[in-house]
Amino acid sequence: MLSQYSNPYNGKDFFGFIFEFLKRVVDVFTGKLAVGNLVSDEIQIIVLMGIAASAALVGSFLILRKMTMLANSLSHTILLGIVAVYILTRDGMFNNVEPLSINAFLAASLVMGLVTAFLTEFLTKTARLQEDASTGIVFTSLFALGIILLTLFTKNAHIGTEVVMGNVDALHIDDCKLVLLILGINIFIFLLFFKEYAITTFDPGLSKALGISTVFYNYLLMTQVSATCVGAFRAVGVLMVLAFITGPVLMARMLTDSLKRMILYAVGIGCLCSFIGVAVSRHLLSMYGLTLSTAGIVVCTIVVFFITTLLFNSRNGLFINYYRRRNVIKV
Amino acid sequence: MCLAASLIGVIVFLRKQSLVGESLSHAAYPGVVIGVMVAGALSLTESNDQWVAFFILFGAFITSILGLWCIHFLTHKFRIRTDSALCLVLSCFFGIGLTLASNVQFTFTNLYRQIQSYLYGQAATMTDIHIFIYGGLSLIVVTCLVLFYKELQVITFNRDYAISLGIKIDRIDFLIFVLTVLSIVIGIRSVGVVLMSAMLIAPAAAARQYTNKLHVMLILAALFGAFSGFMGNYLSVEASNFFSEEYPDYHLSLPTGPMIVMVATLICLFSVLFAPERGLLLRLTRIAKFRYRCVRENLLKTIWRAGPHQEVSLKDLSQYQEISIPYLRIILSGLCRNGWVIKTSSGNYKLTVDGEQWAARIVRLHRLWEVYLADYLGVGAERVHRNAEEIEHILTPELEKELTVLLKDPQVDPHHQKIPPRET
Repeated sequence: MLSQYSNPYNGKDFFGFIFEFLKRVVDVFTGKLAVGNLVSDEIQIIVLMGIAASAALVGSFLILRKMTMLANSLSHTILLGIVAVYILTRDGMFNNVEPLSINAFLAASLVMGLVTAFLTEFLTKTARLQEDASTGIVFTSLFALGIILLTLFTKNAHIGTEVVMGNVDALHIDDCKLVLLILGINIFIFLLFFKEYAITTFDPGLSKALGISTVFYNYLLMTQVSATCVGAFRAVGVLMVLAFITGPVLMARMLTDSLKRMILYAVGIGCLCSFIGVAVSRHLLSMYGLTLSTAGIVVCTIVVFFITTLLFNSRNGLFINYYRRRNVIKV
Repeated sequence: MCLAASLIGVIVFLRKQSLVGESLSHAAYPGVVIGVMVAGALSLTESNDQWVAFFILFGAFITSILGLWCIHFLTHKFRIRTDSALCLVLSCFFGIGLTLASNVQFTFTNLYRQIQSYLYGQAATMTDIHIFIYGGLSLIVVTCLVLFYKELQVITFNRDYAISLGIKIDRIDFLIFVLTVLSIVIGIRSVGVVLMSAMLIAPAAAARQYTNKLHVMLILAALFGAFSGFMGNYLSVEASNFFSEEYPDYHLSLPTGPMIVMVATLICLFSVLFAPERGLLLRLTRIAKFRYRCVRENLLKTIWRAGPHQEVSLKDLSQYQEISIPYLRIILSGLCRNGWVIKTSSGNYKLTVDGEQWAARIVRLHRLWEVYLADYLGVGAERVHRNAEEIEHILTPELEKELTVLLKDPQVDPHHQKIPPRET
């Protein structure tokens, strides 16, 4: 009875879930419901939406700069940073820092992001390795190191799986804070440097002439990517955050050519996908008794959305193209 | 099995598509899961292991091909950039695989363990049957490579030439893709889905450091791959044994995949640093040696310019050099030891006969080059000095001879300074 009370979403189907959610949102705004009384589904929604929004922000510029493979590499190497934080805090080297605190994670992500970028650059420039090969080598080796350390120090091979796959169901209210903090930082940086980002992305020559350092914004973007990955790793794991980064942005790219609109669309699509993903997950659980990984379902939702956009978008969707071609032949 | 992966890795590496492997190996994951589900649906248990393994391999193969097709489709039909397409396919396939896996976790709990072992690789649980399957598949890959070696070579390095030769590019491309997928599928059991791409890249990158020839590179990469496979397995087993003795309470086993990858990366790093010709360390020493020689030759020139048999003080020397005085002292003492320069009793420096000859040769090269630039390339006389300042350290005796003949043994340079005669 208690559990029934604590989670009003139990037993709801897809539309029931949405209805209940909207009711509770209204409750929060009218003051009937305290913000502290969030249940797990709502935490999931908030965290996933936060991740989706910051991933879409970062992803827009990554994709335009053709640097998505760097995001891939960062998301892998973040693991090493996270493991390092685990080890250091467990051994009490930073006794004043709360175990696994947000600050430590952010610092680790920052350091790992820079280390990855630096190593890759070193291998490409100084050791004259091809760029794709050096990216591949750096992140796989750092990831392997992370996994080995993780197994050694936690004495448990399953944590590795958890980190890679993420576990939405084990989310906690503190994760909300972390994700929202990262989202806030991302929004703040983008509002502040939007013009600079746009210029360095589209016209490096002009930015150089204007005295805007491309390298600086490159590294800033990388730092943001690693922060986003850290925020996401507990919820969706280091791999699936890539789906959040690329999927919505590519969809938005198909819908519009304007940068601002593209970013807004991407954020919107990302949030919508996460919401629907959680709802579908609950629907499957209550209707068919299937317990599927919520993160996985969200990614599947993104895939479905992507395919739909491919087929039906009004600019160069498959159906539109087919229709146009047929008309041309008729004429 | 790492051997096959490394061989294919070479081709992939040279075609600058290293990151395709990354996407494909992740795309194989849902295949693994589907394979397990099919096996579970046919109510196979762990006892008929070979069939489970077969379904898993088959599933992985299918989904990898599917992933490859998706990437191709996205990049060609929709002009999405390759890197975005790779990333999208990677994460989406992995996500789908994960969703399915979480279902398997509850329906076929005993088989779920199998899926996990494919994630990071677990060679310890392999049996004879696996060895036969993987050995056979590796053999197929190697045979294909040997049979189509010439076609692969031509296509990799010069596509247009290959087309003009009438080689069916599409077919060979398809073959390469199938082989890539096959080698990934072979590797995922021992290295794991997540890290398989390292086995494609690292040995190839290491081998590239040693040679410029394709067949040598293939053999080297295969050796590196096989070695890291063996060492990785050995180390993971040894370390697991060690830790289970140290901490008997914990049931600890190191995953094989990361160990193999670490070994492969170490080999690669070592190669990058120490390989002859291309190695970073040797390149740096070569550069440093050349710089050292330039400084020495410039010093000799300065002393020579003071006039024959003149003594020059340290202070005068440091005026014309861009290096610090302590470093200047070290170089001068080195020159003294080699008998180019002698230090006189008054603390000044003087050229020996040998030193005089060497310095005269440098000045001669410098001025010859100035003449060449001014007369043959039409460079203005006021601009030739800087270029000659660099080239004087590089010109060989043969080139000097050629220049002398070409310029008809000139006596003065564009600045009307006398060119020292050739030493005999």
